[in-house]
Amino acid sequence: MRRIVAKRLLGAVVQIVLVTLLAWFLFYVIARFTGATPAQRIAGKNATRQQIELVTRLLGLNKPYWEQYLIFLNHLVHGNLGFSYVQMRPVSAIIWPATRATASLVLGAAVVWLLIAAPIGGYGGLRPRSAGDIAGRAVAILGMSIPVFWLAPMISYFFGYQPTQGELLGLPVLPVGTSIFPIGGYVDFGQDPAAWAYHLILPWITLAIGLAAVYIRFIRTLTAEQLAEDYARTAKAKGASTTRVLIRHVGRNIAPAVTVLLGADIATALTGVFFVETVFGIPGLGFTGLSAIENLDYPVITGVILVAAVIAVIANTIVDLLHSVLDPRLRRIGGP
Amino acid sequence: MTAEMQAIELDAAAQGGARPVGLRITALRRLRRDPVSMAALSLLVLLVLAALVGGPLAAKLTGHGPDQQFANALAANAQPIGIMQRTYLPNGTTHNPHGSLFILGADALGRDTLVRVLYGARISLLVATSATALALIIGISLGLLSGYLGGWVDAVVNRLTETAMAFPNLLLAVGIAVVIGPGLLNVVIIIALFTWYYPARIVRGATIATKGMTFVAAARTVGAGNRRILVVHLLPQVWGPLLVYGTSIIANNIIFEAGLSYLGVGVPPPTPSWGQMLSDAVTSNMYQADLTLALAPGLALVLTMLAFNLLGDGIRDALDPKAGGR
Repeated sequence: MRRIVAKRLLGAVVQIVLVTLLAWFLFYVIARFTGATPAQRIAGKNATRQQIELVTRLLGLNKPYWEQYLIFLNHLVHGNLGFSYVQMRPVSAIIWPATRATASLVLGAAVVWLLIAAPIGGYGGLRPRSAGDIAGRAVAILGMSIPVFWLAPMISYFFGYQPTQGELLGLPVLPVGTSIFPIGGYVDFGQDPAAWAYHLILPWITLAIGLAAVYIRFIRTLTAEQLAEDYARTAKAKGASTTRVLIRHVGRNIAPAVTVLLGADIATALTGVFFVETVFGIPGLGFTGLSAIENLDYPVITGVILVAAVIAVIANTIVDLLHSVLDPRLRRIGGP
Repeated sequence: MTAEMQAIELDAAAQGGARPVGLRITALRRLRRDPVSMAALSLLVLLVLAALVGGPLAAKLTGHGPDQQFANALAANAQPIGIMQRTYLPNGTTHNPHGSLFILGADALGRDTLVRVLYGARISLLVATSATALALIIGISLGLLSGYLGGWVDAVVNRLTETAMAFPNLLLAVGIAVVIGPGLLNVVIIIALFTWYYPARIVRGATIATKGMTFVAAARTVGAGNRRILVVHLLPQVWGPLLVYGTSIIANNIIFEAGLSYLGVGVPPPTPSWGQMLSDAVTSNMYQADLTLALAPGLALVLTMLAFNLLGDGIRDALDPKAGGR
């Protein structure tokens, strides 16, 4: 077990180093040749040659590339992500609140998509080809086909904007000025948990729908597979109710596989976050990253990509390790 | 569909019956009898037609070019005309009974939405298929090599795919797009850069499963070299598994292109693309006044995705050996 953990952690470290190398190369080396140099950006448009040279020396841009990369890594280890060109404050001060907002969005959405997918997928696996199963699969394939950047404005329009115009789904039934859900804005959890959840309901649902579709199909297949196993038949023969077989027996056996998929999908969800955050005005990583891209604020872009990639790698690692805890069979054979 | 045919041909030509050719034919027959798959296929044929002839045809019939702006399609308050409306009279107040018809209305710049949606299909399909082709070339080569050679080649390719898969790819793709600049070719390269690992993993698995088979050993016995075994004997075997994923890779790439365009780093304007039309409507909040602006490109995307996903499911079911033969 200890060897498995060590091997997996080493793999994660290698991945993170590769990620930093790639991000540094892209935004600190290549970017230098495609636009204004970092020294020029920081010194400002009217800077004299001497000022630019001074900034160049201060940033260490005159040193060899390998040394610059090591300096970059050293800063990273100490939590220093650089300095924003535009906001004129440390990137870490920008990134941390954004990470909190994004984490609220993604984790909440994960709860929502599991709550949607587990009953629909489980029922489909229990009664394949029934009307309920066919409906569930139709919903799933539709959910998979709706891009989140279209779903987000649609949900915001029908549940946020339209009620303020006195309409519900196009029917003039509400008094003008009704607000069912807020169209935008974000309240920190520490400030007011109720307002936090209220502001996040629509974003959660938006982000969850596409992934719920994937999970409906996944859980349906797994449930059908497990129900065909001998242990499920035995439990049924001994008089366990269908609910009990599904939750106590089958549920426990598909949990590890679902957990692993969940880890991988944190990365997928971080992609959707980009769009959901911009439409609903949540100041998270996606929102921050996008405005940084508009301003060509490379240190912030690098910071966002690094944090997102590191979150994804950590999520995958934790889930892989959790997998061998949840599924004792993996421990003996050699693990993930 | 053509890939399916090709797979059968390759199979038949490459080696007479190492793999049951009958299964492929049964699969094809099953697919043809599945109404949902056939509906999806017809939708895709329509889409290709829309992309090839629909755009120019609509432009010719309405007399509106895809990038042409019509000042009299905008009201005095800059609000564009809606569905089935005609252009305004020169004084800008009433609709002109003889003016030219905008079937899906106009956008904020006074361009014909219908013509642009039809032309958008072109960009979507062009980018998605060429990115998929490029990803397949990279993925198949790396997958074949790593599956066949094993050892350190396999280890390196595996690390590469794992790291690539760990990235929230759109984020990095946008970053790369910002650095290397927008453009049709750049978009194709970026998308391929983020999709090659799916085919690579599939091909690797199929290669490992096949390379121990007797016909490969037989080929080696009669003196075939590594290159010949890879290209003539193993390559034809990987098409089947790839086909199932092929449709979903194309579907993913269509979303990918639209996403990049939505974020303003895709195909540069004024070339119409669905993602960009959506983003124009949404970021300006213009879609709240006229929902068609978001509905037209959005539904085009959803229908396309739906067709690809349904066809992919159909092919998967048809190829499933456990399903009862019909």
